[in-house]
Amino acid sequence: MAPNEFDVIIVGGGITGAGTQRDCAMRGLRTLLIERSDIATGATGRNHGLLHSGARYAVNDPESARECIEENMILRRIASHCIDETDGLFITLPEDDLGYQQTFVESCRAAGINAEIIDPDLARKLEPSVNPELIGAVRVPDGSVDPFRLCAANMLDAKIHGGQVRLHTEVTGFIREGDTIKGVHTHNFQTGEDADFYAQVTVIAGGIWGHGIAGLAGVNVGMYPAKGSLLIFAHRINNMVINRCRKPSNADILVPGDTVCVIGTTSTRIPFEECDNVAVTPDEVNLLVTEGAKLAPSIMSTRILRAYAGVRPLVSADNDPTGRNISRGIVCLDHEVRDGVKGLVTITGGKLMTYRLMAEMATDTVCRKLGVEKACETATTPLPGSEERSYEAVAQKIWESPSTAQKAAASRMGTRASRIRTGNRHDEALICECEEVSVGEINAAIDRMDVSSLTDLRRRTRVGMGTCQGEFCACRAAGLLAKAHGCVEKERADIADFLQERWKGNFPIGWGDTLREAEYTQWVYKHVLGL
Amino acid sequence: MKFDSVIIGGGLAGLTAGLKLQSAGKQTAIISTGQSALHFFSGSFESLQEAPEEMKQLFSQAGIRLHYSPGVRLMPLGTFREAALSLEDIDLFPKASFGKKVLIVNLLGYHDFFSSFLAQGLEKEGMECRIRFINLPEMEKLQLSPSEMRAVQIARIMDRIWEKVIQEIRLLLKDEDTVVLPQVFGLQDASVPSRIRQGIPARVVFAGTLPPSVPGIRTQMLLKKRYQLLGGTFLMGDKVDKAHLHEGRVHSVVTQNLDNHYIEAQNFLLASGSYFSKGLSSNPFGISEPVFGLDIDFAAERGNWYSPSFADDQPYMAYGVKTDENLHAIKDGKALENLYVAGAVLGKTRPEFGTAAGMAVRSALAAADNILKASEL
Amino acid sequence: MKLQEYTRSKGNFEECMKCTVCTAYCPVLQVNPLYPGPKQAGPDGERLRLKDPYFFSNTLKYCMNCKRCEVACPSGVNVADLIQAARIKYDKSKPKLRDRILASTDLMGTLTRPVAPIVNAVTGLGITKTVLDATLKIDRHRTFPKYSSPGFEIWLRSHKREQAAFPEQVAYFHGCYVNYNYPQLGKDLVKVLNALGVGVQLLDNEKCCGIAMITNGMSESARKHAVHNVAALQKAVDKGLKVVTTSSTCTFTMRDEYPHLLDVDNSAVKDSLLMATRFIYEKLEKGAKLNFKSDFHKKIAYHTPCHLEKLGWGVFSEKLLKMIPGVEFTMLDSNCCGIAGTYGFKKENYEASQAIGQALFSQIKTVNPDVVACDCETCKWQIEMSTGYTVMNPISILAQALED
Repeated sequence: MAPNEFDVIIVGGGITGAGTQRDCAMRGLRTLLIERSDIATGATGRNHGLLHSGARYAVNDPESARECIEENMILRRIASHCIDETDGLFITLPEDDLGYQQTFVESCRAAGINAEIIDPDLARKLEPSVNPELIGAVRVPDGSVDPFRLCAANMLDAKIHGGQVRLHTEVTGFIREGDTIKGVHTHNFQTGEDADFYAQVTVIAGGIWGHGIAGLAGVNVGMYPAKGSLLIFAHRINNMVINRCRKPSNADILVPGDTVCVIGTTSTRIPFEECDNVAVTPDEVNLLVTEGAKLAPSIMSTRILRAYAGVRPLVSADNDPTGRNISRGIVCLDHEVRDGVKGLVTITGGKLMTYRLMAEMATDTVCRKLGVEKACETATTPLPGSEERSYEAVAQKIWESPSTAQKAAASRMGTRASRIRTGNRHDEALICECEEVSVGEINAAIDRMDVSSLTDLRRRTRVGMGTCQGEFCACRAAGLLAKAHGCVEKERADIADFLQERWKGNFPIGWGDTLREAEYTQWVYKHVLGL
Repeated sequence: MKFDSVIIGGGLAGLTAGLKLQSAGKQTAIISTGQSALHFFSGSFESLQEAPEEMKQLFSQAGIRLHYSPGVRLMPLGTFREAALSLEDIDLFPKASFGKKVLIVNLLGYHDFFSSFLAQGLEKEGMECRIRFINLPEMEKLQLSPSEMRAVQIARIMDRIWEKVIQEIRLLLKDEDTVVLPQVFGLQDASVPSRIRQGIPARVVFAGTLPPSVPGIRTQMLLKKRYQLLGGTFLMGDKVDKAHLHEGRVHSVVTQNLDNHYIEAQNFLLASGSYFSKGLSSNPFGISEPVFGLDIDFAAERGNWYSPSFADDQPYMAYGVKTDENLHAIKDGKALENLYVAGAVLGKTRPEFGTAAGMAVRSALAAADNILKASEL
Repeated sequence: MKLQEYTRSKGNFEECMKCTVCTAYCPVLQVNPLYPGPKQAGPDGERLRLKDPYFFSNTLKYCMNCKRCEVACPSGVNVADLIQAARIKYDKSKPKLRDRILASTDLMGTLTRPVAPIVNAVTGLGITKTVLDATLKIDRHRTFPKYSSPGFEIWLRSHKREQAAFPEQVAYFHGCYVNYNYPQLGKDLVKVLNALGVGVQLLDNEKCCGIAMITNGMSESARKHAVHNVAALQKAVDKGLKVVTTSSTCTFTMRDEYPHLLDVDNSAVKDSLLMATRFIYEKLEKGAKLNFKSDFHKKIAYHTPCHLEKLGWGVFSEKLLKMIPGVEFTMLDSNCCGIAGTYGFKKENYEASQAIGQALFSQIKTVNPDVVACDCETCKWQIEMSTGYTVMNPISILAQALED
């Protein structure tokens, strides 16, 4: 096989693409993943990071609910370093109908979700931040999942199994022979090079952009862009996921994730042209805070770190303007069967946390086409980093008495944290002080995880995700990147891009301490450092 | 407690005004909520051309030497920026190219000094650069702490071992005409930078680091020390919570630490800084001055406070407390007779005083002048 | 409240701008690389600890609780409170016997006072110090404070009637040090207050303020003391009395640490609890007069103790001392002396403790005063041990300067 020939090409470096590549690679296929930007830049990195128990869907969409709880349990096993097993509460407030609780719990149980009605007092004790006025509470096995880590781990495992990854590379068209897709034309934004790659099957896993990609092959996948906005608070208000026990609505989930927590979402249909540049409006911010405060009142007075928005890749079903009544079900299209276009598969719909199942379905389709019979093993094989159950266990194995930064590294990298144990004290120096990211951890990411910019580095290490939003760590990390890549000029521009990207999420909530921090960052970079 | 004048804010503006008033024989107090923005001072007084005579005098009495030479200075990321008036250890050049061969010396394990960026910036200007790292046993203790290879901690050690640094650099130096070093010299002992210059047989250029800024902290310490020597009362770590106003005058202020022990004065100067220092505060509905509730003009629509581009000048940074021609603060449309305003809390409302550090000094001198004139009446 | 009108979380750690100014002023960081520093240990660490208590690090024990980070912080973050609160909340290790002994200042006093001369002789012996050093890890260089017999309380009770005769009254929280080790300071206070026409009475059974318990991991005992003392203060306040003190640390502990670290509400008594220097200054400001000796001459270097710096009340001591005719006053740079209560007594901290104080010691030697003035008893031990200069409380200097 020539170096530009593969069994399967996956278009899209979100969680679905990464998961599909891993599955295909584990079944022995030669794979190439192509992503026009970086990993997890679409909906993968722009949602709650909620490890659904499925409870949210139990009443209206039992199929999704069942998928969720099954995948939930699988991810706890195979992706332990990406998962926080927090459990969740569905609370009933005085303004809600307590009668719904019974329907809710019955539906949960029918879907196989362990939902337990608990005393409001116990709920207040378990989760002190919860709205104390609650009149009912149900405990469910919700959790949180770090999408960047999950995506990176899948891609890394694909690479371990021989997969190739091309980031910052766009598919500009399909190579077509008659009714068969033979490969893709691509353009690399970093090198400016155009290149063709060939494969027997191409899988489109492009989220909302899948519509446009499929269009290049002359295939129509009707999609439905629904923008959802979210806010990140500067620290964890809650340690359990808090939901409202009622019909799903705006801003009714508060999810703790790593050092922060996230409230969301809203839902607005937007035109396809806007998918590349979604912005959070002041009205959405007001709505998220006001509604969020009903879950946890301290939201009203907690510093907001960022606002961001994602676009749900929903497949059109009907004309519901809110986008909420669509099943978030998985859609796997074999375009040979559907459209008469051979060698092309689309995998879409679904959720972050059902990515593995989506990948399995897509890979099954691919394997069927290629006549490969190997069974899927992704439900039982841990991702790289997830070989231990907890970060405590990881840290204890690597270090005699781990420092806070080492514990933090273990929580982010899982067992891969052993890579940063060098015994060299210079590697222990902190680059990002908010999130405690060391030189060693950053170098480990640069070495192994396709980092080309500070923003890429952030997705893999949490550098710049803390309260200072890159104020100090951006240029320190840029120094390491410049050294690794041997290009200083590019890094100077990279710092500017990184700060711009941070500012984009800051100014929609630019008041109070966030504005103070922004002013200070302006000051440091413009007046002190001379950017 | 009673004073002739009370200054709210212990940064560059507050200290400058305090020195001037105290030198004029007034009894003053400075109330400062912690350390000031001088800790992030780049060392250059942007927008100040030649220093006003009295500034030179006040600063030199405090032991701070300034120099004036319109040109450019080297910035930490390897770019050049126009500058004219600076602290003595900030080098000013007529043009961006200042040597042929440059030795850039960093400390091993120090990430807050950007040697590779500097080298690239200088090479772009036609200079040949070589980067070397030095590692001194005295630094080992700092290197053990993952978060403390930082400018101030290093400077504390350098105050003791600068002679060793000179020796190390002399060993490294080949045919370079210039040595670039991080600004980690002269924290407590202001003479260290010039001793380093004397000890190295090449031109020595100090380039900035990530904050805190060693020259900035030294400036703050020297100004404060001089102020206290002149008999000024410096209340560090206290915060003015509110003020008592009566018939267009400020009678006294209430602080967090002294609670019901009010601080009275003939005149008050508000030099409380911008958002960072909490001289200005903001919430989703507006921008305010938290002590006196002074007038501020700002865009009603929150979206207009910002430019979506980080690189742009941000509208919110222009907002500041409104003042009359004599720098009296304006509240509810009326000037408060004995409350003056200086420094960053003015935002960009008084462009005649310039911007940044230059503005802080000039507006402070002008406000102090007005206070002295008013107290003569 | 309006939406996000203000943003402040418990411990206000989110007001931290990551400017690192606190690290520049932390005395421990300069000498001990094992300490992560106030920023990492405080606001940065807090975010991780909120995620999981597992991220708590026992290196937080190196914090001396001097609060200099808080004084320096431009954002008003309660950095040291965050650190101490984390220790209270997450550090489950039991305090060592040595720490329990060091922390029990009043118990030690009660037990030893009747046999003070013997205890003093024994703790002063080289052999005892060696034994303490080896067995309890109390550093051999330290001189144990001498115990005095009889205590201040007994002395004041014997003067109860004459004190009651004064038209104005205050209550005095003397603290362990004045009662057990140095009654003279209490007597000096009585002299100065009497000269102002104010009589002094005891509180109804005060207990140790508890600071040493807080820093030695005995917060439950400290909380009991706090509850007891707030009740005792309340009784005095109910009688319309102000309560004065001569120890900056006791004052700071009762005013600020009770509510911030121990969750003991002191709001009803806080405003009535004052350093005697503030009380006296305020009296003089309102027109009271003190008659000073005409031939009093002293070169005084004033050291602001860390907790007084945090209280922001050093200004009262400074102004009082400057008011005494014949005083040549030098304000020493604000630096920690390194003792921090019981911190410097521990063998593992001795070296750091002395290194921290070095800047202060050498400045004192340069100034070469007749006496160093300072409102803190542990600073007094440290400075006297390390420099050989005599250290006096400003109240004692005032008493000395008064016409008899």
